[in-house]
Amino acid sequence: MSGGSAVAEDKRETDQSILERRSEAIISGIEAIDPDHVLHLASSTLKIVLSHFIEGPGARPGRRVFAMPREEEGVAIAAGLELAGARPVLIFQDNGIGNLLTALLTLPQPYHLPLLAVVSRRGGLGEYNSMIHTISERTEALLDAAGIRWFQLDVRTPVERWAAEIKRAWAFARATHRPVFVLVNLMGS
Amino acid sequence: MVLSLGGISREMLAVAGRKGNQFISLDAMGQTISVALGLALGLGRRGPKDGSADKVIAIEGDGSLLMGLSVLSTVGHLKPAGLVVYVLDNGVYLATGGQPTASADIDLVAVAKGCNWSGARDVRTAGELAAATEWALTAEGPNLIRVHIGTAQLPAEYFLEDPAILAEDFRRWLRSRETTTAEPSGSADAVVSVPPPAKIPVRGVSNSKRKRILWLCIALSPHQRR
Repeated sequence: MSGGSAVAEDKRETDQSILERRSEAIISGIEAIDPDHVLHLASSTLKIVLSHFIEGPGARPGRRVFAMPREEEGVAIAAGLELAGARPVLIFQDNGIGNLLTALLTLPQPYHLPLLAVVSRRGGLGEYNSMIHTISERTEALLDAAGIRWFQLDVRTPVERWAAEIKRAWAFARATHRPVFVLVNLMGS
Repeated sequence: MVLSLGGISREMLAVAGRKGNQFISLDAMGQTISVALGLALGLGRRGPKDGSADKVIAIEGDGSLLMGLSVLSTVGHLKPAGLVVYVLDNGVYLATGGQPTASADIDLVAVAKGCNWSGARDVRTAGELAAATEWALTAEGPNLIRVHIGTAQLPAEYFLEDPAILAEDFRRWLRSRETTTAEPSGSADAVVSVPPPAKIPVRGVSNSKRKRILWLCIALSPHQRR
């Protein structure tokens, strides 16, 4: 094995370790909210988180966990759930932000319905998809333009604080009667 | 009851009046059934304290449905027993000038059944509508009723309420029916009173009269009058 390969392998292990630690923090944060509905959309970086809720300990009796075919459909279903007094959480990745803006700005935002979305970041350092940055890098700008409140969890926030921050975001959405997005970077940055 | 945007909301309000059991979508095209699905999931079969079951009714148009057709698969996957969807299919985007939709070439009943809904029916007459309503409100859901209608419109004003008020009114109505068995103030029966669907005449009426019958059938079905 060459020295370069060893370094690359160490780098992969480090990235995997970061991914696992941050994923566990996200799981803890969402479990602290104790949602009765978890709506998700496919994401390779969220695989650990999604597995927890789909087939792991998070798939508990009394909790519905299901895929939303499109982000805006999930927003609308969550709006109905919130009206009914349920506790939904949405989990998806940021390249779907463009899909949901109209639904977000015609349902939960103007109707003053709280909604928490945990959104994984793509397109930054460590990204392996050659084009996903085209939409993902614009996530903050899109949300700002739409007037959607968001918080970012990445290397600047100790991973030990992530779970508590996610729970606070849930409370903040309720306190302010509006959607709140938590952007989570699982890729090391 | 979740009312889709445009003529559906306006005509329901013109005929049945504003009621607490209405969640009115002012602009979320394509999302009506999704909101109703969320309500049906959140409420489950839990009804008011009299022990009766909840029914969540979505009134959707063909154009809006086709904008979010994937929800049919989500409904079929989750199978909320209390969900009833009326699709008022006039084949056009009427509110914006009558541009044609693709519905004329689509068997929406077959699509719903193919998506694992409990039942789905086509309805073309007021008599069929009354029978389908009776079926949908008593049978295990989710059930879809595709109502083939024309393009006649009832005179109706624009509805310009603040959406935050609409949501809060609806939540208050939901809360009120969970805490009392008595009919809440400003309840579903407060505005109009007409015979139940089965007694509504079905022959010799104009298109606009048929449309009015349609709204009354839905608005005043037994579950909605509760």
